[in-house]
Amino acid sequence: MLMADEATAPPWKASVVAARRGDPSAFEQLVRSVQRPVYGLALRLLGNEAEAAEVSQEAFLRAYQNLHRYDESRPFDLWVMAITRNLCLDLLRRRTKVKTEELEPMKEILPSMEASLEEGAIARQERQSLEEALNTLSADDREVLALYYVQRRTTKEIAQVLGCAPGTIMARLFRAREKLRKKMTTEEPT
Amino acid sequence: MTSVECPDLEDLFNALEAGEGSALEHAGQCPLCTAIIEEHRLLEQDLYRLADPLPPPDLVHKVMARVAAEPTPARRELVTGLSILAASVVAGLGLLLFSDAALSGASTSLARLVVDGTALFEALLSGAHALWSTAAGPVAALLSLILFSSLFALKRLAGTGPTPSEA
Ligand SMILES: [Zn+2]
Repeated sequence: MLMADEATAPPWKASVVAARRGDPSAFEQLVRSVQRPVYGLALRLLGNEAEAAEVSQEAFLRAYQNLHRYDESRPFDLWVMAITRNLCLDLLRRRTKVKTEELEPMKEILPSMEASLEEGAIARQERQSLEEALNTLSADDREVLALYYVQRRTTKEIAQVLGCAPGTIMARLFRAREKLRKKMTTEEPT
Repeated sequence: MTSVECPDLEDLFNALEAGEGSALEHAGQCPLCTAIIEEHRLLEQDLYRLADPLPPPDLVHKVMARVAAEPTPARRELVTGLSILAASVVAGLGLLLFSDAALSGASTSLARLVVDGTALFEALLSGAHALWSTAAGPVAALLSLILFSSLFALKRLAGTGPTPSEA
């Protein structure tokens, strides 16, 4: 049954096929390979480590439950990230319904902390103020910036995660960056 | 040289992306616009330096613990496939039994039957696909039975119903 597509098969395909048959180690391998961008996106959107971890777990579980519906020609990581994003947006919507005010300010929850050992104090401070400014943007702006700059995704890949046309991404990026620039310039102490 | 004559920022960035445009020509001579472009460039540089945090070390284990409590995807697929096939059997039999009554001449019923037929066909396809990967052999007989029953139904429709041009 397996033919010439063996040579051109995407790297995740064999694991997906094995996981579908019930091989847990194959699914575990898939989880390992995409957990960082999945968790990273969740943390950017939710700004809370515990919630990001919970949503990531849920996203992987949904991926497992829907593995028979997954189209292997689509990158596995982007598929799980799209699931993650939907879960995050649901959570954000519920959050705003429950209470609009009194959300813990997410100042301390700054990603990319592990880089801080290597960089100087000034660079660290700059990065922290950038992270803080980023956290004040809307989820729409944060996700597109995070995917493009932090995860270095192409506009086509981003469009797959967000479920929109690739042609709209550059304009969204620009608008998000402009909002960020304004935050950064108003915050500047000098 | 005042901000009044500066182009809309969006136009400026569209022109930058395209590499041409009047906004770009303006920006070449305008310190205000040049400064904004430079700020964006620096901001991009900083953004590229950000990295995704590492996920909690126990994430994979927690996921796998929850996955272990689930039926395997193949089994889930089988259950889904079986229920789709059961639905198509019901639909096929329904088509067979009620086609005479439905075909009393009105073009609306023809339209409905065409829709039914398409749905049946789609259901058959997806059900067959889902099952084929897990239990090809035993399912083949069942599949052909359903196929024959629906073919028979379609044949009767073709024989007794008005032709599409009449509708
Ligand atoms: Zn200008």
